[in-house]
Amino acid sequence: MQLTIQATGEHVDVLSYLLAKNPNNRYERTNNGHLIRMFYNRFTSKEVEVTFFVTPDPIALSRDHSERYDITSYINDREFVVSSIFCSFLRSALGTALNGKPKEEYIPWVEHQFTFQFSFGPIASDLTDKQIENIFQPLGYDVEINYGQAEYQVDLRKKSTARWITLNGTTTLQAGLRQLYVLIPVLDNYKHYYIDEKEVEKIERFGKDWLNNHPKREFILRRALRFKELYRSLEIEGELKPVPNKTENRIRLNELRYEKIINYVNKCKYKESIVDLGSGEGKLAVRLGFVKGVQEILAVEPSEGETLKAMDRFEKIKEKDNFVQPTPVMSSLFYYDERLKNKDIIILCEVIEHIDEHRLPKVMKTILVDYQPKSIIITTPNKEYNQIYELGEVYRHPDHRFEWTRNEFQDWCVEQNPGTYDLVFDGIGEEHPTYGCPTQLCLFSRKEDY
Amino acid sequence: MKITLPYAGIVLLIGPSNSGKSTFIQRLIEENKIHASEVVSSDDFRVLVSDTDFIDWKQRPKDEADNLYDQYQIISREAFSMMDLLIEKRCKLNKLTFVDATHLHADDRKRYIEIARNNHVPIVAVAFDVNQETLLERDDLREKPRGKRRIRQQFQTFKREKRFIKKEGYMASFFISGTNDIEIIRRTNNPLELDVANGIDVIGDIHGCYDEFIQLLEKLGYEKNERDLYVHPEGRKILSLGDIMSRGPHSLKTIQFFLRHVQASLGFMIDSNHGWKIARWLDGRKVTLNHGDELVEEEFNKFEQEHGEEKTKELKQEIKEFLFHAPSHYVLLKNGVPTAVCTHAGIKDEFIGKQSHLVSDFCRYGDTDGVDESGKPIRKDWTISHRTSQLIIWGHDPRPKPIITNNTINIDQGVVFGGELSAFRYPEKTFVSIKAKEDYSNDSRNPLKEWEKNRLNPPNIGKYINGFSVLSEELGEIHVPKKHVLPAIDLVSHHTVPMEELVYIPPTMSPSPKPSALDTYLEHPKEVIDYYLSMGVEKMVAEKKHMGSRGILLIFKDTDTALQAIGRNTLGTIYTRTGRKFFDEETEKEILTKLNQSLIANDYFSKYNTEYVLLDAEIMPWNLKAKELISNQYAHVSENAILDRATLKNKLETAARTNQDVIDWLAEYESKLENAYVFQEVFQKYCWNVDGINEIQIAPFHVLAHSKETFFHKPHTWHMEMNREFAAMDDIFVETEFKVIEDSRSEEAVIKWWEEMTADGHEGIVIKPLNFISRYKGKLVQPAIKVRGRKYLHIIYGMDYLLPENLKRLKERNVGKKQKLALKEFALGVEGIKRFVNREQLERVHECVLGTLAMESDPVDPRL
Repeated sequence: MQLTIQATGEHVDVLSYLLAKNPNNRYERTNNGHLIRMFYNRFTSKEVEVTFFVTPDPIALSRDHSERYDITSYINDREFVVSSIFCSFLRSALGTALNGKPKEEYIPWVEHQFTFQFSFGPIASDLTDKQIENIFQPLGYDVEINYGQAEYQVDLRKKSTARWITLNGTTTLQAGLRQLYVLIPVLDNYKHYYIDEKEVEKIERFGKDWLNNHPKREFILRRALRFKELYRSLEIEGELKPVPNKTENRIRLNELRYEKIINYVNKCKYKESIVDLGSGEGKLAVRLGFVKGVQEILAVEPSEGETLKAMDRFEKIKEKDNFVQPTPVMSSLFYYDERLKNKDIIILCEVIEHIDEHRLPKVMKTILVDYQPKSIIITTPNKEYNQIYELGEVYRHPDHRFEWTRNEFQDWCVEQNPGTYDLVFDGIGEEHPTYGCPTQLCLFSRKEDY
Repeated sequence: MKITLPYAGIVLLIGPSNSGKSTFIQRLIEENKIHASEVVSSDDFRVLVSDTDFIDWKQRPKDEADNLYDQYQIISREAFSMMDLLIEKRCKLNKLTFVDATHLHADDRKRYIEIARNNHVPIVAVAFDVNQETLLERDDLREKPRGKRRIRQQFQTFKREKRFIKKEGYMASFFISGTNDIEIIRRTNNPLELDVANGIDVIGDIHGCYDEFIQLLEKLGYEKNERDLYVHPEGRKILSLGDIMSRGPHSLKTIQFFLRHVQASLGFMIDSNHGWKIARWLDGRKVTLNHGDELVEEEFNKFEQEHGEEKTKELKQEIKEFLFHAPSHYVLLKNGVPTAVCTHAGIKDEFIGKQSHLVSDFCRYGDTDGVDESGKPIRKDWTISHRTSQLIIWGHDPRPKPIITNNTINIDQGVVFGGELSAFRYPEKTFVSIKAKEDYSNDSRNPLKEWEKNRLNPPNIGKYINGFSVLSEELGEIHVPKKHVLPAIDLVSHHTVPMEELVYIPPTMSPSPKPSALDTYLEHPKEVIDYYLSMGVEKMVAEKKHMGSRGILLIFKDTDTALQAIGRNTLGTIYTRTGRKFFDEETEKEILTKLNQSLIANDYFSKYNTEYVLLDAEIMPWNLKAKELISNQYAHVSENAILDRATLKNKLETAARTNQDVIDWLAEYESKLENAYVFQEVFQKYCWNVDGINEIQIAPFHVLAHSKETFFHKPHTWHMEMNREFAAMDDIFVETEFKVIEDSRSEEAVIKWWEEMTADGHEGIVIKPLNFISRYKGKLVQPAIKVRGRKYLHIIYGMDYLLPENLKRLKERNVGKKQKLALKEFALGVEGIKRFVNREQLERVHECVLGTLAMESDPVDPRL
């Protein structure tokens, strides 16, 4: 991680005073084992080139940053790329220049514009070259982006993910450094990044002269403050903005599906105890909690993450009137679970298509023969309707193991029935004369004499 | 008069004061017939609790007498409660106890009958029937006479109660009037205990399969002598777990065999449900002969036709006696220590070594829980409550293979149902078995088939969800805590191959417990070899470690056998070390088809008489599975490092021309750039382009199992030879180079070999004890330790790890947790495969796999 500042023209030797670094000495400081270093390559009255770089302690770095026990915590780009870590070292070494507070006699030079070249890198960024240019060009720089080497004996990648940025432009040293200070973290990809309150303050202070008029201001702020609580609230607001059409349809279909299931539950003679198998984040379970006559809902889900989300959801509305709070149950379709026996209704809402087809008969046998609920409601996509979505051969979700036509689904249901249930089929969502509804449903009702 | 005492239990003395109870006991102690500690007396306990043995209230005014009497009652109550507790504890420990008190009232006696029953020991009564005159005479001579009135009262009570005693339910009751002509016969050893002596061969349920039984004896090395008796040259003996008759073709022949051999002290036979029923039938009691017992009657009828009524009656009598006297179970003693228990259907720990109706019943039928809809008893699992170290050997409930659960071994392999007849050799603990010639039972509910049908039933999640323990043969009880179980269940429910085919998860492997003593190495073979030597491992193998991704391959002979074994029509399955599918469906199918064809073409399945082979392997190249990681981490990091360092090096070069100050920085960055290039070179070493399956290499290094056996008893050299055999069969398979370490010369050779290959960038070697499973002072030794090369470790510890200031810190690593996990996961792996090969219930195989997956969710430094 390094930054080379090159300046040409009259009086550039003044820069050593603005930087407060003696051109005859190399500069080196340590900070928690990391070495902050600087040296002059060239120093004449017309040309100055100075390189500032950091030699980090890789072990201290990995120790500080390894949140997960994963090899990627140890082999990562943090020791090489310019990032917020680099910026904080930059600030500690070049505070004088950033603050524009050299010795009194040089203060007039703070406002002096030099012809600069700022060359820094490498950067690890998900931004395109164009996006990077759009950040620096409005500030008056010519932007040059160079790539690292990515030649391998095997087909690994087409282009390197290491980039180098060179900016040419006329500006003051202070403005140039302040811009870099704010913008380097904007470029950087790092996900486990932490900015404390003071840093936010610094960004505000260092950006005040140029950021307000920057055409990408919002974008820069979003990325710079992406880890702040402040920004999180922005994101949530964003969720409320109108969403694109396709997603809207999906959401509507979800609602219709829940509605239809609730309708069937309402029609069921026995509905005191309901099992939502594969309940995910608990969206359906919450709705079931408001159905009259329901006394117990088991929200069954094997994923801890989803269960936690569901618990959050249940917690939030538990005080509502006439709401039966669902009970989260860690379990799975592939095991036998005594807790699910002899319930009134078991629901498999958009679940079966996530299971390899050859494993389904056993799952169904456990439900139909061992658990013996009074009713079972199964929903799954209707493959025929994919024509309307113009999906071709692609499934609606990458984890789907299959999607069935109406005939396939109906045949399958009949095959699973040990003869103890009556079957009713239905569709959910807008019906197409040829392709039917987007989702199909089957209600298994246990025959009275069983 | 002879009084035969049981080995353990209660001897209840009954009689008025002065009837001679204590005198009788005193004499037995003096004659060394019994120990003083075997006697408890109410008089002693009165003294122990109150310092008083007698209170006299005769000739006192009423108010004083009443209070003294009350006092006496209170003391007696406390004394008896202490005494009863002591008796109870002795019964629990299977000891003999003489209870010296008057026991004149039925209620007093009933208490002890109850204690004996609750603790499954017998109780005998010894009543002292002495005339009143003698009692009174003796009382006069006492230091503290009880008084005429009391003696007369006691005598009257005894006279009244005498006739009830016989019917109160004692194993025996004796009435003695004088003590002179009494002979005490006492068993000093437990009749249920059996010295292992030269070895015992425990035989499972024979059910009249005489031919298979004789075959088994011959296989065990028994030889027929001139008296038509099967004798073992080493003096071993036969012990049958019962159910010798019924269901099968030759019940009479088989029971006669045992009758003769038990009489000749060459064998033993235990009581059993069928035996008991036949005995009661022979005794003329009303029983319904069914479940194959009716065949015994047919055989007797046939016998009668051939040998006449007289002979038949004689034989029936003999067999009846024989069956009635068969003990409920045997306790095997090794050097006087009870180490194993043989029982027919089951036993509770508190029953071991004891005799009672309840014990006999339990041993015959096991723990039953009512009957199912077809009238068959529902068998409860008594094995889960077994806690002691004694090995329980049992039969009764047929399973396809001897199954070891919770330190119990079931050796009924259902020979009469077309299974096998098993022998378990003790103390060797080995199995010998004979396949049935046919299914003799003609039972529509063949238990072996039922077992098979239910084998793949979904496991009960309740057994795992709150944390669980797996009882492994290699490491005992392995606990899997709840917090790690939940992510494992999530994994199995979403990401892994179906649990039916997820039979094994390879254990993690630790690097050397000690870092290299050399300054410029983090790991070196020397420390590993020394570690193993210190663990008593003299011979080791060093195997070249392939750098790819771990893969487990289960390859079937054909799709039908797969359907049988894992419930899916497939040629096999290939999955990663976390249980995920290794390849996409098409590639997997292509590889499995190719391998299957090659194995068949080389007669592999017939040569080894197996339906499948389970392989532990490394699958290459690395980029096959790790392309994302390689590209996003390794390539990305190396590109950034090179760009950073090369740029800086150039700048420093320019500066160094005029500035002496930065010369050392230049040197530093020259070497750092070099490190970055090494890093880039190393990770590419394990990558090559894959276009179709031709570039894929699979190096199997463990042949874990065939359908009938596991190979944990084979040395690694055997596994390596098999590896060579596979490589010759199909070009997807590649060989693994290896060397044996057995002396300092071979040790040096291995070190040199390691140095050469790792200098070339190769990952390194794995050193293993020659034996698959090694122990040192009874403890399991690390099954394998990896030694990675200097170059390779750049991609694990970072490109600058060799810098002295880095290496010094990295050498402080601790492998303790990793080693513990490695042992547990290894033991679970071995256990799970054994259970899978034994065709045990999915639930039992799955608990091992789930255990390992759970342990892998416990975070450990991934660089180890």
